[in-house]
Amino acid sequence: MLLERLGKELLFFDGGTGTLLQERGLKPGELPEVWNLERAGEMVEIHRLYYEAGSDIVLSNTFGANALKFRDSTYSLKDIVTAAVTNVKEAAKLGVCDGRETYAGLDIGPTGKLLAPMGDLSFEAAYAAFKEAAVYGEEAGADLIHIETMSDTYEVKAAVLAAKENTRLPVFATMIFDERGKLLTGGDVPSVVAMLEGLRVDALGINCGMGPEQMLPILEEILKVASVPVIVKPNAGLPKQRDGEVYYDVRPEEFAEVMVRITEKGACLVGGCCGTTPEHIREMVRKVKETKNFPACIPPERKGQTIVSSYGKAVFLGKRPAIIGERINPTGKKKFKQALKNHDLDYILKEGISQQDNGAHILDVNVGLPDIDEKAMMVEVVKELQSVSSLPLQIDTVDASALEAAMRIYNGKPMVNSVNGKQEEMDKVFPLIKKYGGVVVGLTLDEEGIPDTAEGRVRIAGKIIDEAAKYGIDKKDIVIDVLAMTISSDPDGAKTTLAALRQVRERYGVCTVLGVSNISFGLPCRPVINANFYTMAMQNGLSAGIINPLSEDMMSAYYSYCALMGYDENCEEYIRRYSGRTAPGAAQRGAARSDAACGVPGAGDGAAGGRAAEGGTGLTLRTAIVKGLKEEAHHAAREMTKEKEPLAIINEEMIPALDEVGKGFEKGTVFLPQLLMSADAAKIAFAVLKSELAETGADEQKKEKVILATVKGDIHDIGKNIVKVLLENYSFDVIDLGKDVAPETVLETALKEDVRLVGLSALMTTTVGSMEDTIKLLRKEKPDCKVMVGGAVLNQEYADMIGADFYGKDAMQSVYYAKEVFGEV
Amino acid sequence: MMMDDSGYMKSERIKRETLRYLGYGKHEADAETLRMLRESLLELERTAKERMVYRVFDLCLEEDVGKGMGAGYIRIGNMRIESRSLFKNLKGCEKVILLGATLGIEVDILMKRYSCTDMARAVILQACAAAYLEEYLDGRQKEIAAEEAREGYYLRPRFSPGYGDFSILHQREILAMADTARRIGLSMTEGSMLTPTKSVTALIGLGREETGCHAEGCEACEKTDCAYRRD
Repeated sequence: MLLERLGKELLFFDGGTGTLLQERGLKPGELPEVWNLERAGEMVEIHRLYYEAGSDIVLSNTFGANALKFRDSTYSLKDIVTAAVTNVKEAAKLGVCDGRETYAGLDIGPTGKLLAPMGDLSFEAAYAAFKEAAVYGEEAGADLIHIETMSDTYEVKAAVLAAKENTRLPVFATMIFDERGKLLTGGDVPSVVAMLEGLRVDALGINCGMGPEQMLPILEEILKVASVPVIVKPNAGLPKQRDGEVYYDVRPEEFAEVMVRITEKGACLVGGCCGTTPEHIREMVRKVKETKNFPACIPPERKGQTIVSSYGKAVFLGKRPAIIGERINPTGKKKFKQALKNHDLDYILKEGISQQDNGAHILDVNVGLPDIDEKAMMVEVVKELQSVSSLPLQIDTVDASALEAAMRIYNGKPMVNSVNGKQEEMDKVFPLIKKYGGVVVGLTLDEEGIPDTAEGRVRIAGKIIDEAAKYGIDKKDIVIDVLAMTISSDPDGAKTTLAALRQVRERYGVCTVLGVSNISFGLPCRPVINANFYTMAMQNGLSAGIINPLSEDMMSAYYSYCALMGYDENCEEYIRRYSGRTAPGAAQRGAARSDAACGVPGAGDGAAGGRAAEGGTGLTLRTAIVKGLKEEAHHAAREMTKEKEPLAIINEEMIPALDEVGKGFEKGTVFLPQLLMSADAAKIAFAVLKSELAETGADEQKKEKVILATVKGDIHDIGKNIVKVLLENYSFDVIDLGKDVAPETVLETALKEDVRLVGLSALMTTTVGSMEDTIKLLRKEKPDCKVMVGGAVLNQEYADMIGADFYGKDAMQSVYYAKEVFGEV
Repeated sequence: MMMDDSGYMKSERIKRETLRYLGYGKHEADAETLRMLRESLLELERTAKERMVYRVFDLCLEEDVGKGMGAGYIRIGNMRIESRSLFKNLKGCEKVILLGATLGIEVDILMKRYSCTDMARAVILQACAAAYLEEYLDGRQKEIAAEEAREGYYLRPRFSPGYGDFSILHQREILAMADTARRIGLSMTEGSMLTPTKSVTALIGLGREETGCHAEGCEACEKTDCAYRRD
């Protein structure tokens, strides 16, 4: 059995097939998979040569056999995959003469497409394509599924899930790294290994991209973090080009020599990729067999690092404390709740970006609100956050279905908040961790509540760790939260928590997290207590505090702690952050800016405008907007509210300013960047006026709704975003449906919200068709709705042809048209 | 990173092209735009992971006399293209380079981020990224030209699908033939748009005769009333 030998014996893969097929006449652009049927004899011969050379595992010629890549109407995918696996099995009968056990591997390569949100292939569609191949492969008798040459963590996740959920076969996965140890999509070795091990692959590693020599350092990196057997399948050297043709020139002897070193380092499965031939494999097998350990491999060591990851980044917990940003959470935040209700994703994304800019390492994501669809919202927010930030996320929900949906589409190995010592909770959460991988926060409470004593909490931590072990979840994937209870009701609260922290670290050696600010609940000036408690907690073994990274008190506690404890080499980070600040002033400024509890309630909620706290500039609001100066606009708006009603400010100052800039843009004296700078400045001033309006209880003007969307198939949304900013400036309520939007979605929203104006954007001729479809659908189902269109490919003639009401040659034209539609001019 | 000895000249060229893309034409840009442009360029130098891959193929041009002057088919491997403008561009060539280049997914993420927080910066960054990519391609093209010169070939101006009457629908074949997905992570959507978005595919003809039109590009376009035109 393959799984029994894995990690104990050295196993040999085959080598490349592309070169061999080309030698036999495969043309550029021809689909190699067709050969499984049309030239089966030659395929069997190629596989046989590898078995004869000593390969234990030979892969089927199915690298591109998925519905997304294999577009050939002559043959069905099922026939191709079945024939391919049969060819390998046939070759084994002919080529294995020493009675050794060999395996036919179903080879799965990438789809050749980029997954959404950066590309247009949905995770689910990628999954479906891989599933199809995997199922056919198992039916045809494959012994394992080998997913290879992947350069995107998201795609490999879809492939692994498809293979594991739909077959019983062992699953291997290997990726292409470059010489810096990075994937083409930016991921590094620890992030890839953490995710794949979380998904419980049976072996993982590296293939293609480089020669054996260049793979050695990457292998070392992999071995530092991997607990499962490691596969190495290099090319016959770095690709070289002669007259534009790619070739590889590492000879079999040379290849074999390095492969020996690779097995001695700790690779358990070795083979070749592009440019390698049966001779390379024969030579490799011969040389490796001469080593003293053979047939044993160096068994993989279990590693104990706690790692959470995103597609581009791994965060190690345990040594230097990490910061988990807590701000993506509606609890106690009026604006955030409103953003969730209004489906204002930009607001939520900004919360993520500002926390990252302020030093967060992981972002907690909680979007639970009674009257929204939490599952759908969680999935959307996770996807969107991952398209603007590479920070790993902590999925924070009590809804098991939302948790599973988010873990499934998360790109990486997430942190999960949370499980606790209640049996029912553990029964619910641990199967998900086992299946998708993740680092789960274990709260030390159970059916009896939260123990008053440190000992009680430590005991529950033990129970959680033991129960996880039953699922095969290692304690490295559990982080314990011993819970901070406010000292205003329990004077021993802090001491108990600190003692429990220490004991959990000492007794179980697991990592810890804590929602630090709970400690001060009910007390005045909470940041002062919080920051001091934060330092104490870190000193007592806190691996990751869940804190507000925008709080200067918390961040100064963090950076000071790291500098003091030698976690900040040469105090570099501390110096970068604090050089140039004078101590007392810095503290005061920071406190005034960010710490709501000691200053103005809710002050920390402000986004970009927060920094413009002090110092008059003497500029009028109108000038500040015309010149596009954000901080000045913020200040001027504040000053002006002391003398004037917000509505008067809007009508007498802001609108004329925006009109002035808009006219300049039309005349060609103001250019797009300036137009947008003014728009941004106006937006900030609006925010000031808005909070003023809210405080005085005055009604805002009723806003007209406009839908904006980049049409289906189109992923370029910068034009649409420009129009959005300008329309919002002119007080339109923009419903932004994003990019790649189906006609049905536009219609559905238009009907539901009773919208009278839709703006559509398309970049290329290939997507104008979707624009036309959308217009037709709207005409039929919502005839009172006007449609304006814009985008690089469009002109008046084109717009007329597809039946649009208006063609906007630039963003300002859309504003004018919107005003016209709603009778404002 | 593509800074070298002539780094200053390069960044000046990129800045000039960026302003052109932003529609400044012959107008001076304001100080704030220039500041953001400088910052965007620095940020791109840190973020972009520019990569390129190309392959050389034999070229077969078949004139279709029935359809008049300059009409015909272009055959490259299994790909068959019908385009007058490309035909004109490749006339007299024996071979053709198929190339794909990209700045990588990181630039897309950066642009999306700024679309959320600072639209003016997003717009400048995206124009700057386009100029940065062109500059990178020009640099690489010079290297290829030097290489091909040793074989006695001269390069024609690069020509991308979607321009003139060279259909964007050939994108799929070009990507497959240059093996861009595997080698540089460049792929496309169902609508033939390149992903990552800051990417280019192009054909470059290789001929035995020097045609002396390397600077051709924007200037060769028939749309002479374009606001973004260089000359």
